[in-house]
Amino acid sequence: MSEKTAVMSRVDRYYEDYGLRAKELSREGTKIIGYICSFVPLEMITAAGCVPFRLRGNIREPITKGDTLMETIVCPFIRSCFDLALKGRYDFLSGMVIPHACDSMVRGYSAWSFSLELPYFHFVNIPSVVKESSFEFFQHELNAYRNSLEDLVKKPVTDADLSSAIKVHNQNRTKVRALYEFRKADPPILSGTELSKTLVVAASLPIHESNELLDEVLAEIGTRQESPFQPGPRILIDGPCVDNMELMKIIEDLGGHVVTDTICNGTRDNWPRVNENKAPLTAIANRYLAGINCPKTYRENKAGTFEGDIKARFGDIGYFSKSFKVDGAVLYTYKFCDPFGFEVPARKAYYESIHVPLLYLEDLYSAGTIGQLKTRIQAFLEMIE
Amino acid sequence: MAEEQRKPKKRMTATKAAASIGPMVKEFITGTNRARAEGKRKLAYTFIVCHHEEILRAMDVLPVWTENFAGICGVKRAAERFLQKAESLGFSRSLCTYALCGLGFDQWREELGEMPPDAPWGGQARPDFMISSGQILCDPRTKWYQAAQQFMPDVPIYNIDLPHPLFDPKKDHREVWGYYHKYIVDQLRGLVSFVEEQTGKKMDYDRLRELVALSDRTWNLVHETYELRQAVPCPMGTGDAMNTMVPLCFMMATQEAYDFYVNLKQELEEKIARGEGEVEDEKYRLLWGGGLPAWYALNDFNYLNSKGASFPAETTYRMVVPIYEMDIPETDDPIEHIAWKWLGYWTHWYDKARNRPGSEPDVERLIEYIENYKIDGVVMHLAFSCRTWHVGLIWQLHQLAKIYRPIPVLMLGGNGKGDKVQRELPSLILESDIIDITSYSEMDTRNKIDAFIETLESVRQTKAA
Repeated sequence: MSEKTAVMSRVDRYYEDYGLRAKELSREGTKIIGYICSFVPLEMITAAGCVPFRLRGNIREPITKGDTLMETIVCPFIRSCFDLALKGRYDFLSGMVIPHACDSMVRGYSAWSFSLELPYFHFVNIPSVVKESSFEFFQHELNAYRNSLEDLVKKPVTDADLSSAIKVHNQNRTKVRALYEFRKADPPILSGTELSKTLVVAASLPIHESNELLDEVLAEIGTRQESPFQPGPRILIDGPCVDNMELMKIIEDLGGHVVTDTICNGTRDNWPRVNENKAPLTAIANRYLAGINCPKTYRENKAGTFEGDIKARFGDIGYFSKSFKVDGAVLYTYKFCDPFGFEVPARKAYYESIHVPLLYLEDLYSAGTIGQLKTRIQAFLEMIE
Repeated sequence: MAEEQRKPKKRMTATKAAASIGPMVKEFITGTNRARAEGKRKLAYTFIVCHHEEILRAMDVLPVWTENFAGICGVKRAAERFLQKAESLGFSRSLCTYALCGLGFDQWREELGEMPPDAPWGGQARPDFMISSGQILCDPRTKWYQAAQQFMPDVPIYNIDLPHPLFDPKKDHREVWGYYHKYIVDQLRGLVSFVEEQTGKKMDYDRLRELVALSDRTWNLVHETYELRQAVPCPMGTGDAMNTMVPLCFMMATQEAYDFYVNLKQELEEKIARGEGEVEDEKYRLLWGGGLPAWYALNDFNYLNSKGASFPAETTYRMVVPIYEMDIPETDDPIEHIAWKWLGYWTHWYDKARNRPGSEPDVERLIEYIENYKIDGVVMHLAFSCRTWHVGLIWQLHQLAKIYRPIPVLMLGGNGKGDKVQRELPSLILESDIIDITSYSEMDTRNKIDAFIETLESVRQTKAA
């Protein structure tokens, strides 16, 4: 088996047996802190000597236990994560952090915190608006978050701890960007499935191990002299968290290439950096409030026109579409997702304004819809080819 | 004939006050249209429970309550065509149907340049500006008006961020609420500046102070009025409370709202003196424990009444606690007071919840009402399109049953003798929507109610002394 096969095999193993490494570390006494959303400041967890661990759902596992405690009108992705947690799949966690993201997360907070009975549970109140006073408030909130972790680990989390955590998380983001670069070639050197799988796995590892893994993957992909793929339509995926590979696989099996995205576990998690030259709390507040472009955050329409507003709100889509030379986009949302759902017409208008053909899919986070998705994606790819 | 077009049977009210609400709501909807035509006052789209009415009224801004208009469309079974309009624009039917109804209506009105045909009560007036509210709940409150700007790009938005600390059983919320208060004050002062800019008027802080004091008096009065419903038989139920919430939610900071509750209080006192209940022969006292009602099916309350069930209390729309019971700092600054009141309300059940192992504020509130209002069972409504008020209900019932078992019953023990054990309150979750009538089946709902009544009756008969 060649070296490059070894690393991708490891990615596959960690992806299939999700949480394998976290489980080992937990047995050795490391505190693993779960999270679900891009809004959770991970640097704080690392600075406290714990390991941030992104929870995943599973589209192939029917939601059973979860439905006894959480309504079916909750975002199906969150329901799936909750269901797996209740079934003990994440029993290695020492705690969880839930941010003020969407209603599904906030209103489910008590169900999570009381049902899992973990030693640590913390809610980070992310402001809904981006104003000067929001940053001040958010820094206080980050401090309260820091104090809660100090109580858990029974040691202070200093600014120096935070600064080194910021550095190592930024390194991670740099490496992810380098991976994305391999998709700029036409056809891409690295498939969307390979990249997304790697990112899912990377978010389940301690940050240093995550960096090492990314280095190994970068080294392996770097040995590819040319693309192993046939040319095909270049696709951007837009939406929330897409942590199961089926959507990417469908597109790539049908001859398309997922070359970039604006999803949570893609560029939303990995693109914005923390400014290392600012005071750590200020810099973290800036990154997570101003830097994370999630529909949950209200951004004022400064242009005073609809066209100007969508350009400001969805400019990242334009940036990624242009940088990665996309031929089309798939806006993929989950049923019952109010933050994304209310943006669908505006997003459609934005895609039209940048002349990128769009397929909009509202899905259920369930393997049961794969057939329907295939049919619609096939028609879309044929249309744009 | 489609169910949508069938005129619903009017719900019978127990109080004159509740019966007077319809014309009142009609008046403030038609009033906004008159004001639009006259052009003398500024109109603002906005949401209930944002603690900003005093600011708006002090500056003579007329609120256009968009949730209210959607609710009216629901009551009149006239929402479907606006929901379909929203769907045709690309909004999913799984989203908040209040917002969908409003967006469908707005787009249609903007497209026509006039009100859509047969708009309920003359339709919803075009606003001069919109005030949305990013709270710790309700995503649609942030997204609705932003989406509406696609059809009304010239109408500016001010979004007030109104957070509160979430409950932590191990932490006293007062450790952090200082910076929450400062932030909310900043947000509200920002709103004042925005409204000053939009209206060209300066805030009259003396007037604001008076209106804040009036709202406080109204809050206390609402509390005292609703507490009268502890009487047996209960003089007014949740069906009526879905009407009497109107002055509380849409008319705060007005003398009219205060006077309404003066009259309601007097009416309830008179009914109690006469021993007159919501139902003639009160058998079961139920708590409406959560969820917005199905506005097109308010008759279900009458159906429950017909089975001897009365609703002395509800958590829905009872968004007040008496000011004198709030543990908040005193201040002469009206804006600072509003911010403290906001925090005081949302954290009101925190201390109590911390003192009962396994409890949580929403559960604690249920327990408080169950005890104070001598409740026999809990009914909730799960509206599929609203996560804000409807996510967490199942867990609350589960947790309630786990930590609170108030009913003594005799169970046959292994020795053949009756052992006294404690059991939880029976509960019922109804399922449909706030205004999307396609989600509702009268037959299924009533079958569920019948089965629930049988359970209540069985508990009543086996209840041990």
